[in-house]
Amino acid sequence: MATDALRSQVAAKWQESFHRLNSDAPGISGLMNFSEAWAISTQYLYPWDINNASLDGGGKPFGKDLNVARPAFSLVNHSRRLPALLENFLDDMRQNFYLIENEINQFMERYEADEDTAEIDPLITKLMEWYKSWAPPQELGSTFFSSYTLNFQTRLFSALPPSFAHGFKKLCARLLSPPDDDHAQWDPNIHAEVWKNFEILGLIDRYESIIASVGYEFIENHVLSKCTGEWGKPMLEELRVWMSEKVVPWMLHVYARGASNAEEARSMLQGVGSRFDFHINKTLCDLRTREIFDIIIDFPDSMGALQDLKDCLQRVDQRANLVRSLRKSNQKRLLHPGADTKLILQQYVATIKCLRIVDPPGVLLFKVADPIRRYLRERPDTIRSIVANLVGDDDGGDSLVDENEPIQPLQQPEFEDYTDPQWEPEPIDAGPEFRTNKPGDILSTLVSIYDSKDLFVKELQVLLAQRLLMITKDNSDRVERERKNVEILKIRFGEAALQVCEVMLRDMTDSKRIDGHVQSQKESVVHPTIISRHFWPSLESSDMVMPGQFKQLQEDYAHEFNVFKPDKTLKWLPHLGTVQLELELEDRTIEVDVPPLEAAFIELFADQAIWTLDELVKAVGAVDRSAAIKALSTWVDHGVLKEDPENTFRLLERAEEPSEAVVRERDLAALPVVEDTPAISVAQQQQADQMRVYWKFIEGMLTNLEKLPLDRIQSMLKFAPGYDRSIEQLGDFMEAARREGLVVVRDGIWKLNK
Amino acid sequence: MKVTVKQWHAVAQWRWDTGHSEQDDDGEGDVCGICRVPYEGCCPSCKMPGDDCPLIWGECTHVFHMHCLLKWIGTAASKQQCPMDRKPWLTAERKVGSAPVS
Ligand SMILES: [Zn+2]
Ligand SMILES: [Zn+2]
Ligand SMILES: [Zn+2]
Repeated sequence: MATDALRSQVAAKWQESFHRLNSDAPGISGLMNFSEAWAISTQYLYPWDINNASLDGGGKPFGKDLNVARPAFSLVNHSRRLPALLENFLDDMRQNFYLIENEINQFMERYEADEDTAEIDPLITKLMEWYKSWAPPQELGSTFFSSYTLNFQTRLFSALPPSFAHGFKKLCARLLSPPDDDHAQWDPNIHAEVWKNFEILGLIDRYESIIASVGYEFIENHVLSKCTGEWGKPMLEELRVWMSEKVVPWMLHVYARGASNAEEARSMLQGVGSRFDFHINKTLCDLRTREIFDIIIDFPDSMGALQDLKDCLQRVDQRANLVRSLRKSNQKRLLHPGADTKLILQQYVATIKCLRIVDPPGVLLFKVADPIRRYLRERPDTIRSIVANLVGDDDGGDSLVDENEPIQPLQQPEFEDYTDPQWEPEPIDAGPEFRTNKPGDILSTLVSIYDSKDLFVKELQVLLAQRLLMITKDNSDRVERERKNVEILKIRFGEAALQVCEVMLRDMTDSKRIDGHVQSQKESVVHPTIISRHFWPSLESSDMVMPGQFKQLQEDYAHEFNVFKPDKTLKWLPHLGTVQLELELEDRTIEVDVPPLEAAFIELFADQAIWTLDELVKAVGAVDRSAAIKALSTWVDHGVLKEDPENTFRLLERAEEPSEAVVRERDLAALPVVEDTPAISVAQQQQADQMRVYWKFIEGMLTNLEKLPLDRIQSMLKFAPGYDRSIEQLGDFMEAARREGLVVVRDGIWKLNK
Repeated sequence: MKVTVKQWHAVAQWRWDTGHSEQDDDGEGDVCGICRVPYEGCCPSCKMPGDDCPLIWGECTHVFHMHCLLKWIGTAASKQQCPMDRKPWLTAERKVGSAPVS
């Protein structure tokens, strides 16, 4: 029950309100004014349909005359009814927002149809039009206005379909991208108005992460298009310049809006600027990580990329990624039977050099090198390849060891020397296996693949011996070259290790001197290399005896030698060396350089035209049957001998047409991949099947190296287990593969047919 | 057919003509009784074999690296005797060209 006091209190309140509403006018005339003012105010504020407005005489929408509305607002305000007016206004907005919604939907339907940002542009313009048209006038105060804005934005966001975000992102990207012509003076400020609209509509805050992703993608695209495959010079600095010229002005609209001066803008940009700079580093780092294998191949032309990678890695922690990527590429592209050892060594050396640039302490190298070293250790010809390269016996291959690297003794692995003033603690990702890799020379690193250098020294001796024994009277100047080699190797491997090489070299010069003397006493066609036993790597011995005139030549020379050196005798190693022969046959003369066994056999045929294999073998002492067959086939190939019947050889005083047997053998070598080849023998089929095994290797190497000449394929196939085909057989096989459409050939270069 | 040898690049080893002709070729050959290094090798104080580290023949038919024997003879313990048979060392005249050309 209301008490009297309460009743009178309510009455007083009512009176007060009434007086306010009635503006202290007589009777209720004031009240009449208020309701009129209310009506004018709500009419003025009414969220109208801008597409379909009834205009008054002045061309303005009906009821939109601010001169009329201003006193009404004032009255409503005076009557403290502004909150009610706002409430009413917002309610009208709620009811009429469907107008905007409809319009949005029309635009977005068109956008969804063709995803053309040309639909988004006018939508934004249109939204701005709605926003401005519905905006309450200044007279109603800032609270009124900000409530309106907030309400408008809230309704707008819920009205925008999900596809808008996508379209908006594309629009932002377009606003950011300069025209295709990079050199054109592009002014990002031309879009200032658009950005302002975004801001007014609240889109920048709402879609901040989308706008940021536009920035990130923009950076990414630019880095990839500018830097992919461009390894010559460092790019990072250039990218930073680009960023400050092209991206920062854009960022100002987004991240420094409302900054009143440059200083303020700078500090507002600091956070995002650093994130974008990080993104440049990260994108470039990822790119170079993906490219690292080829960057290493291109070294030293890829110095710029390596410098960038070094700088990026200091900013971005991607070291583990780099190791993983490079190990994976190495596994796939390098450490397989299709790659030849020389290539692996070259890439390893380049890897050492490159990673030393990227990571001077050597942790990355240590992690990447380990599988390469293990793989090389298992290859049978690694030492030979290194040694061959060392002595320049590498048919044109690049030297593994830099010519301008000082020649220095091999460094043996050392334990860490903590007293070394240069000593630094191991880097944090080093791992327990890591040993500080003092930047030693390349050769020491290669030699350290093995536990001891002795294997290298042995191999050096063998190689030197082979090379020296190839030297004949006609190219004896090569001895001097070998001497220079040995001098260098002595510095590297130590004097003692190369002592036997010294003896070999002296044998070479002694031989020449002795031969000079012998020839002056009694001219001979024999020019021997006389070697010191025990000092040359064990040369396989032979019980071969040279027949006929050869025996005589040996004896004559040995006699003269003994006259010159009475306390010494000569023991011939008849299976070594070469003989230059001239064969005068009835219809032709043939001049050839052949090994001694070939010479011995043909000498026998001078006296007797037909020999069996057994007779021949017996006539030259004991020689290996397969060696004999090989020697005889040399003469068969020259068309001087003919095997007819099997194991019987006949001298062809007159040349014959290539026999049928030879022709058939050639066909046999060709892989019978052609289905209609009649009656393939089991042997032929086996040969074909075996060859198919090697196809995998060929395919592998062509995949990795893209194109190769036949002789390279042949030399690389030699690493495939059991491969023993001649290059002619390989050529036939490749030809057959070409007919099958597996490969193509141009100018003698083979490629996979893709 | 006529076979003409235009040029022959042959390979041979030199051997000391120790007088023990037809020595065992497959083995390491004879070794110096003092240093146990083959005659065609060199004595421990030399690096080059052959004329730089010659042999010396004794009347007793024993053969040594000359450097090895001289060093031995230089020691008091040798009593100027051949280390193999303890006969007084007498250096033999080399029978020049004695080795039959086989
Ligand atoms: Zn000795
Ligand atoms: Zn000596
Ligand atoms: Zn004696």
